[in-house]
Amino acid sequence: MPTDNKRIAGPEDSISYRLFKETSNESVLSKINNLKNNIRSDGRKTNEQRKIFLKCGVVSQAKGSAYFEVDNTKLIVSVYDPREIPKKTDYSLKGELFCIFKYAPFSCPNRRGHQQDAEEKQHSAIMKRALESAVCRHEFPNFQVDVYVLVLENDGSALSGAITAAGIALAQAGIPMYDTITSATLAIQGSTKLLDPTLEEEALCTIATHKSDTETGYDSHGIIVLAILSTHEQISEFYQLGNLNLDTLNESISILMNATKEIVPLVEKCLVDYVNKTFKANGQS
Amino acid sequence: MSRKELLSKIGLRQDGRRAEELRRIRCKLGVFTQPDGSAYLEQGLTKVLAAVYGPHQVRGGRSKAQHDAAIINCQFSMAVFSTGERKKRPRGDRKSTEISIHLHQALLAAVKVELYPWSQIDVYVEVLHADGGVFPACVNAATLALIDAGIPLKEYVCACTASLANNNVAMVDISNQEETLGGPVLTVVALPMSAKIVHMEMSQRFHLDHLPKVLNLALQGCKDIKAILDDVVRQHVKDIGSSTGWSQTNRKQ
Amino acid sequence: MNLCEAEKTFILHGVEENFRVDGRERSQYRPMELETNVVAHAFGSSRLRLANTDVLVAVKIETDVPSVDQPDEGKIEFFVDCSANATPDFEGRGGEELATEIANSLTSAYRSTKAFNLSKLCILKGRKCWKLYVDILLLECGGNLYDAVSLAVKAALWNTDIPRVLAVNLDGNNVEMEVSDNIHECVKLDIVPAPVMVTISKIGEQCVVDPSAAEEQCATASMVVAVSQDRFTTVLQSGSGSLHPSTLRESLKLGLEIGSKLDQALIEVLKQKPAKKQIGFLM
Repeated sequence: MPTDNKRIAGPEDSISYRLFKETSNESVLSKINNLKNNIRSDGRKTNEQRKIFLKCGVVSQAKGSAYFEVDNTKLIVSVYDPREIPKKTDYSLKGELFCIFKYAPFSCPNRRGHQQDAEEKQHSAIMKRALESAVCRHEFPNFQVDVYVLVLENDGSALSGAITAAGIALAQAGIPMYDTITSATLAIQGSTKLLDPTLEEEALCTIATHKSDTETGYDSHGIIVLAILSTHEQISEFYQLGNLNLDTLNESISILMNATKEIVPLVEKCLVDYVNKTFKANGQS
Repeated sequence: MSRKELLSKIGLRQDGRRAEELRRIRCKLGVFTQPDGSAYLEQGLTKVLAAVYGPHQVRGGRSKAQHDAAIINCQFSMAVFSTGERKKRPRGDRKSTEISIHLHQALLAAVKVELYPWSQIDVYVEVLHADGGVFPACVNAATLALIDAGIPLKEYVCACTASLANNNVAMVDISNQEETLGGPVLTVVALPMSAKIVHMEMSQRFHLDHLPKVLNLALQGCKDIKAILDDVVRQHVKDIGSSTGWSQTNRKQ
Repeated sequence: MNLCEAEKTFILHGVEENFRVDGRERSQYRPMELETNVVAHAFGSSRLRLANTDVLVAVKIETDVPSVDQPDEGKIEFFVDCSANATPDFEGRGGEELATEIANSLTSAYRSTKAFNLSKLCILKGRKCWKLYVDILLLECGGNLYDAVSLAVKAALWNTDIPRVLAVNLDGNNVEMEVSDNIHECVKLDIVPAPVMVTISKIGEQCVVDPSAAEEQCATASMVVAVSQDRFTTVLQSGSGSLHPSTLRESLKLGLEIGSKLDQALIEVLKQKPAKKQIGFLM
C-alpha cells in the first residue's frame, strides 16, 4: 500500500491513560484465576464462540469485500482484481497474493500509527500464508491479487476473523479457490482453553503464571490461530505463541477444528445470499 | 592532560607501529561456496568479506546493459554491530552509497569489462568490523574476490591510506584511533604495477609541500599490499592446484 | 536456484527411501560448526555454520526506559540482515521480507517469560533497563535458516556478558548508575530455557528435518517449531502450503523430539570452556 509520508502523523508515541490506572497485581491474578476456573467475564462457556455477523459486498470500488463482526471486533476486507506484479522481472508460474493487515489508528487501546508496525507486518505474512493455499494460484500466473484488511475495532481474535473474511471477499471477487477457508483463535491459560478470546483474555493468556501458590513451576499459557480448508481437511496456517506442551497442543487442534467447522455454514450462507441477491437485482432490471 | 601525539619522539605510533609500517594483513580466498568468488580480508582489526557473482546476464532492466562492456554493480554494506556504537541500518545511508560508488569507480579501472558485453558483474562487500581504513580494505578484498571468481583484471587494484603526523612525518595505513585523534587522511586507490592512481580522496588539510611525501608513502603502501595479496593468491592457487595433482605434473617435467 | 521436475522426483524418492541426496536419514542434521566470541565490538557473539548456511550473531547492550505497560522488564530486539553476499537477490531491500519473517519468529519464540525472562534486564523499575539488540547477519544461505539462526542466537546470548550495576541513584528525574569498572565482572543471563527452532518439511508423504536449499523447494509444506525445555513456545508455518491435521500432529511430535535433542547438544557444547586461541573470523 502506498503510504503517505507527508501526512500529519499525530503524536509519534502515545500511551493509553488506562495504563496509568492503578492496577494491582492481585486484580490481574484474580482475573487469571477466574479464567482458570472456567469463568469468563462475558458469561460465555469456554468453548463458545461469540455471535458472528458476516456480510459481503460492502466496499463498492473493490472487486470483492467482506465485513466481519463479533461483538466489538469489527473489520473490513477488500480484494482487488489481479494485476501485474510490480517490479518483477522473471516470469512466475504461480500468481501471488499481496496482503496488508492494518489496525485502524483508533482500533486498539493504544493508538496505532498509519504505517504498519512489526506486529501488523507479521499478521500480513500469516494471512498471506494462510490464503495462498486456498487460492488456485496457477490460474493467474505472473499476476498478483491484493487483499487489504482494516480492523475498525479490535476486541480479540482479529487475525482469525480477518482470514475468514478474506476467504469470503476472495470468493466474491471471483478469484478461483479450492475451498472455503475458515479460521479460529484459542487462548490457553493453565488447563483452560478459551475459544474466540476477547482482547483482555488474549492479554491474560500471554502472562505466565505459577501452577499454584506453593509451586514454582510455570503453567501453560498461549494463543493459537488455526486456518483450515474444511472440505479438504487441510490446515493452511497454524500459528502458536506462549508456552505449551504437546498434549495441550493436540487437544487444542481438535477444539479449533470443531470451531472452524461451525463457521463454515455461516460463510456458505453469506455467499449464497449474495448470489441470490445479485440474481434478483439483475432479473428486475 | 596534553593532547595525545600521533607519533611519539622515538617514532612510534599509538599502536606501536612505525610511521611507514602497515597493519597486519591476513586474507583468504574462496571462503564461501555459493558466490562465484569470495574473499575475506583482515587489515588490523578491520574485517571485510567480499563476494562476486558473475559475469551473468543483466538483471533488472535490460536498458542498463551495454553492448561493448560489462556493467559492474557494487554494494557496500556494514553489519550493524561492526562499529562501537550500534548502527541503525546496514546500508542505504549516504556514506554507504558514496563508498559503493567509489568502489565501482576503483574496480572499473582494473576489470577488463570489454571482454563481457551485455553482462553484469556483482560485487558485494560486507564490513564485519570497522577499525579505520574501511574503504581501502573493501577495495583490497574486492580485488581478491574478483581474482577468485576468475575475472580478468588488468592488474591488482590496491588501496591504502596515509596521513601526516606532527605536521612533518608521513604515516601509512591509518587506524580508527588515529583517525579520531585528528590529522588529515589521504586515501589512494592505485594500480601499483603501472603506478597509476585510480581514485584519491582527502579529508582535512595540510600544506601542498607535504603532498608528495604523503602521496608517495600511500603509493608505497599500495605496492606493499599488492605484494602481500599476490603471495596469498599464489599460495591459494597452489593449494587448489595441488589437490587436483597439478603441482605433481609440474615436478615431473 | 530452480529445480526441474526430474531433480525434484529424485529428491522425493530419496526421502521416501530414508536415504537423502546427501546420504542423511530423514531425522538427521548436517554437520555444524559453532564459534563464540567472534565480534570484538559486541557484548556477546557467535558464528554458526550449518553445511552451507552461515550465520553471524552479535549482541549489543544499551540502556533504555522500560515501556509503560511493562515497567519492570527490560527489552530485547531482533534484527536480521540478509547480506547480499548470500545471494544477489538480497541486494538493496530484496532480503527485507525474509529478514522480517525470521526476526518476527524469534520475537514470538522469545516472548513467553518462561522462555526468556526480561525482568532480569530491569535496572530500576519504570526508569531504566537494559535493551538487548540481537543482530543477525546471514552470510550464506544453504537451507534451514530458522534452525541455524535460533541456535546461533542462543549461543550468542549464552556468550553475552551484561555489565554489573553496582549502584543506582535517583537524582530528581535523572537516574544515575554506577557500572563496575572491572570488565571481567559481569552478569550472565539464564539462557538454558531459551528456545531452539526446528524446521520440519513435508516432502512427499514423509517429514524431514534440516532441509537443504534443494529439499526446501520440494517441500509441500514446512513447519517451524520453537522448543524450550520440552514445551512449544512458537509454532508457525514457513512458506505456503497446507497440511492434514494428522501430519501436523506428527510433525509437532517429531519437532519436539528433535528440538529437545538439539537443545541438549547445544548446551553441552556451550558448557565446555572454549579453547582460547587467537584466531580471526573465518581463519
